[in-house]
Amino acid sequence: MRSQTTFEREPARRVFAAEFRETRYQFKDGDDEKSPTYVIFPTGIRSNRVFIVGTLTEKQRQGDQNVFYRGRVVDPTGTFFIMAGSYQPEAMQQLARIEPPAFVAVVGKPNLFTTQDGNCLVSVRTESITVVDRETRDLWVLDTARSTLDRLDAFGTTDDSRKAMEEYGTQVPHIYRKIVYDALTQVQM
Amino acid sequence: MNISEVTERISRKLEAKGAQPDRQKIESRLRRLVEEFGVNLAEAERSVTADLAREYKVSGLGNTSTELRPISEITPGEWVTIEGKVVALTPPLSPSIAQSGIIADSSGAIRFVTWTRSNVPPMEFGHWYRIESAVVDVYRGAPNLKIHSGTTISRLEEDAPLLPSITPIADLKPGVGSVRAKVIQDWEVTNDRMLQTGLLGDESGIIKFVIWKDEDKENLEPDTVYNIYYATVDEYNGRLSLVLNTAMYIADEGDIEVGRNETESRGALVHVAQGSGLIKRCPVEGCNRTLSRQNYCPVHEIQPNFRYDLRIKAVLDDGNRARNVLMQREIVEKLASITLEEAIQIAETNPLGMDEIFYRIGNAVLGRYYTCNGSEFGGRLLVNSCTPIRFDPGELAALLNRAGGEPA
Repeated sequence: MRSQTTFEREPARRVFAAEFRETRYQFKDGDDEKSPTYVIFPTGIRSNRVFIVGTLTEKQRQGDQNVFYRGRVVDPTGTFFIMAGSYQPEAMQQLARIEPPAFVAVVGKPNLFTTQDGNCLVSVRTESITVVDRETRDLWVLDTARSTLDRLDAFGTTDDSRKAMEEYGTQVPHIYRKIVYDALTQVQM
Repeated sequence: MNISEVTERISRKLEAKGAQPDRQKIESRLRRLVEEFGVNLAEAERSVTADLAREYKVSGLGNTSTELRPISEITPGEWVTIEGKVVALTPPLSPSIAQSGIIADSSGAIRFVTWTRSNVPPMEFGHWYRIESAVVDVYRGAPNLKIHSGTTISRLEEDAPLLPSITPIADLKPGVGSVRAKVIQDWEVTNDRMLQTGLLGDESGIIKFVIWKDEDKENLEPDTVYNIYYATVDEYNGRLSLVLNTAMYIADEGDIEVGRNETESRGALVHVAQGSGLIKRCPVEGCNRTLSRQNYCPVHEIQPNFRYDLRIKAVLDDGNRARNVLMQREIVEKLASITLEEAIQIAETNPLGMDEIFYRIGNAVLGRYYTCNGSEFGGRLLVNSCTPIRFDPGELAALLNRAGGEPA
C-alpha cells in the first residue's frame, strides 16, 4: 500500500530524436501552481523527464549576464537540442567541461517553445549530463527501440495514446516502426 | 423512507422488547431532528432509537447494526455489533478517553476507544463482550472502533479459545496484526521512553518494531523467533512499523529463513543524490548515522573520531518507473573503481575534498545501465549486487525482427 503523501519521481522516458522533434502537445496535470507539466509524444506516452544517450557534436555558450549553454546531441534518427542555464548550475558546469564530440548521457525535462509564426521548438532542459562510452549508446538504442515498440503495440488502447492519435494522426505506428528499424540497423552487431 | 415509516419501525422495535412507546413523541422527535436540525433521516432514526432504548431501558435495538459481524469484515464508516475478547488494554491518551485497547475475535482484531462521556462500564482484560452499535472510523490510517453513549456493552460468560491468525509481514496493514517472526536486528534506542527497537523478519519480509517502556514489557532476544499476538501496526510516511506494547509475545522453537524478498531491477542510473560518495559515520556503537560536514550526529552530537564510508543513493530508471536504490561500500568500490582508502586519500589532499569523490562517482555511474538485485525496504532497494548490463547482439536481432517483422 502506498500512501498519497509518498512522493514518486517521474520516470525518464526513452525517446528517439525523430519522435521527440515532432512533439507538439503539452498539458498540465492539475490546477496547482506546482502541478507537473507533461508533453505527449507521438507514440502516445506522457513525459516530464527524458533519458537520452547520443553524441554531443556541438556546444555553445550564450548570453552575457544570464549565461547558458546550448548543445546538439545526435542519435541514429536525428538531433536533440539541449540547454542548461543558471537554474541548472550543476548541469551547466558539467556541459561546460565536456569537449565535443563525445558520447553523453543526458537526463532532463522536455521543453516546448512556440515561435511567433507558430513553429514548435522542442528541446531538453538538462538536469545532468555525463560522458559515457559507445556501449552505453548502443544499449540506449536497444532500450529506446524496445520502449518505442512497446508504445506502438499499445497505440490506441491507452488514454495517452488516444490523445496522441488525435494530435499526431493514425499513421504514427507505420512511421515510427520504420524509424525504429532504421535506428537499429545503425548499431553494430 | 419517510418519517411515519421510521416512526412505525422504531415503535415496533420497542414494542418487540416489551415497551409501550408513544408514537407521537417519536414522530415529533424525528421531525425536530430532521426539519429543525437538518439531520438525515437514517441518522435521526439511529439517534431517536438509541435515546428511547435508554429511556425504556431496553437493549439490543441499534438499527441496522444489530447483526453480528466478524471483526475482519468491518470497515470504516459502519455501525456495527461485534463479539470479541479484550486482548489488550493501553493507557488512554486523553482524559476524554476512558479505555483504549484491542478487541479480537477469531477473524481478526481492531483497536477500540471508549469515550469517558459514554458512561459505559469498563471492560476487563481477557473477557468476552458483545458490543452493539459501536461506530468504526479511521484513526491514523487504521480502523478504530469507537464506543460511545449509544453503544451497549454486555459481558459474555463464554470463554471461547481464541487463536490469532498469523499474518505474513509483507501483508500487514495499519491496524492490528499478529506475526511469527525472528529478531534480526537490535538497534540502539534513541529515546528515553523506548525500551527496544530493531527489525523483525519472516519469510515474506522485514519490518521495524518498537517496544515502549512499560512495567511488564520485556526485551526481545536477538536471533530468536517469537509469536507476537496483537501488535499495533502503525503507518508513518508510507512505512509500516510494529508497536509491541499491545502485544503478547512468546519465544517459539525453530528458526525462520528470513525472506530478503530479493527483487531484480534493470535500468539506467539517472540520478545520484546528495549524500552519496564519501561520507562520515558516527562511531558510537550501534549508531552508524551519517554525520554532517561539521561531524554532527543527530543523536550523539559532535563526533570528531568518525569513520569514513562509501555509499551511493541513486535512482535506477527503466523508463516506466524510477526506483530509489542504496548501494553500500563494496558495491560502490566495484562500480566506481575506487577503494575506500583511495577515496579518503583523494578527499584529504584534493581542494574539493569529499565533493571530489561525489563528482568522480557520479561521472562513473550516471547514465549507465545496470541490473541491481536487492531487498526493498522503506521504499528503497537495498542493493546486494549490481552488474553493468552488456550489449547483447541477440537482443539487437530480436528487436530488428520485431520492428521489421510486422507488416508495415
